Amino acid sequence: MKTNQNLIEFEGGLDLESGARLDSFELMIETYGELNEDRSNGILVCHAFSGNHQAAGIVNDKKETGWWDNIIGPGKAVDTNKYFVVCSNNLGGCSGSSGPLSINPASKKPYGKDFPSISVVDWVNSQKLLSDYLGITKWDMVLGGSLGGMQALQWSISFPGSLNKAGIFAAAAKSSTQNIAMNEVGREAIRKDKHFMDGDYLLHDIKPKSGLKTARMLGHITYSSEAIMDQKFGRNFQDIKSKIDRDVDYQVENYLQYKGEKFSDVFDANSYILMTKAMDGYDASYATNGDLEKVLSRVKAKLLVIGFDSDWLYPPQRSKEIQLAAMNVGVACSCVILEGRQGHDSFLFASNRYVDIVRGFIES
Amino acid sequence: MMNIQLTNIIKNWIPDDSRVIDFGCGDGSLLKDLVDQKNVCGYGVEIDHKKIQECVMKGISVIEKDIDEGIQDFESSNFDVAIMASSIQCLKEPHIALRKMLNLSKQCIVTLPNLGFWKCRLDLASGRMPVTPNLPSSWYETKNLHLCTIKDFEKLCESEGFAINERFFLNDKGNKSILSTRLPNTFASEGVYLLAKK
Repeated sequence: MKTNQNLIEFEGGLDLESGARLDSFELMIETYGELNEDRSNGILVCHAFSGNHQAAGIVNDKKETGWWDNIIGPGKAVDTNKYFVVCSNNLGGCSGSSGPLSINPASKKPYGKDFPSISVVDWVNSQKLLSDYLGITKWDMVLGGSLGGMQALQWSISFPGSLNKAGIFAAAAKSSTQNIAMNEVGREAIRKDKHFMDGDYLLHDIKPKSGLKTARMLGHITYSSEAIMDQKFGRNFQDIKSKIDRDVDYQVENYLQYKGEKFSDVFDANSYILMTKAMDGYDASYATNGDLEKVLSRVKAKLLVIGFDSDWLYPPQRSKEIQLAAMNVGVACSCVILEGRQGHDSFLFASNRYVDIVRGFIES
Repeated sequence: MMNIQLTNIIKNWIPDDSRVIDFGCGDGSLLKDLVDQKNVCGYGVEIDHKKIQECVMKGISVIEKDIDEGIQDFESSNFDVAIMASSIQCLKEPHIALRKMLNLSKQCIVTLPNLGFWKCRLDLASGRMPVTPNLPSSWYETKNLHLCTIKDFEKLCESEGFAINERFFLNDKGNKSILSTRLPNTFASEGVYLLAKK
């Protein structure tokens, strides 16, 4: 698979939904496959909350693969032999694109908490500039899961003529009250970490690791399902040798400790707050006062909406709401609810039916 | 699988550029024809995974739901024609389903197997549950909950206040014959109806 990584600078900057402006910004992107001559085989992949541009292929020395490697690749559902697949690290993230870790040209110091608020609409606008840079006037498809699915939906609303198809998986047209509530607990854990220093931790060369870890542990519970936790860990005790913390009793505790610890090593706390705020703030129908049908009436792309039965973060009902509104305004839209034991994370796992549906939709 | 005669009857009843929903759309063949030939804006409701996959591959908008759920969830939608081919007898409450279908759509196309068909009567007279091309499953396998005759169905339409705008009666070869048309309750294997609210 031909893989390229690029850091692209956008000197024209970006006017943000909040009214603020980024005078210039950079996007870190990865591409797979080759763009054809008439530039018609582009597929844009949007990542979820903690994802990044490394969607497919081997990403490090440990031979770990990209977050959607089982969906994207040669001969896979998103076939890189046929399509030119692009994934960019979202603005405000911490994997190479401009974000809180970047240097603020005004102060010559890292932005930190001063990086402006970013919304799903801003991400889509920045990705449109990326499309222009790549010379792709129309994506054959824009797709993503969770927060990535929200971006795919917003693409079909913001730039109806710039994509043929959109894949909206394990997502919703807006975050629910419960989503916001969960995210607020995570943010509070970070804010109350004494190393957070009101968001200025970078200036003191420390990280609020404990807060990030707690936030991620809670996150993992919400991304999972009761059934899969029961299946993976049951009530099994952790053996003494591999206990992360001496206070750990059960395997599930050890797992959450491990995942939280790992995440707190690599993720930036200000990014965490910015990303979750973007997720909470998303409401596709905000401009139409909650009228989803009205906002979807401008969509020209064909939509594929997929929900997963064990997902309690963005449950199947959220997918069905998008389908119903799209149908009522005559937008072509298919909707399937797949069995997935992995809860919200199901969109990351390639079940046979999931792969068939995505492949069938792309090829149709 | 729908025969050509039946497919043509249904196609002729569907106006160009109309909004169509097909409850139990199968592999999406009918909708695909309607999209290609009549430029309809079409949606299918289907529960069978294999058939859903075929719809997706044809580029047909398909929604994974059973028919009862679909009719319930889409009651406030607004279609020109709703199609329900060979499924009315499988629903929990056919009369309520029909009412709701006529709420979500100006007209409904309904096809149903006729239990009054002479071969069914013969089977029953010989002491067995009917098994015909239109009712192929044995009693222990069938999904049919509410079988009826042509007479029963039209009686229901009358009492519910549904207008029968058009109807055709097909024999077990899928043809409109003189007998199936003149004496449908005995000689039609299948009834095809275009219903509307009175």
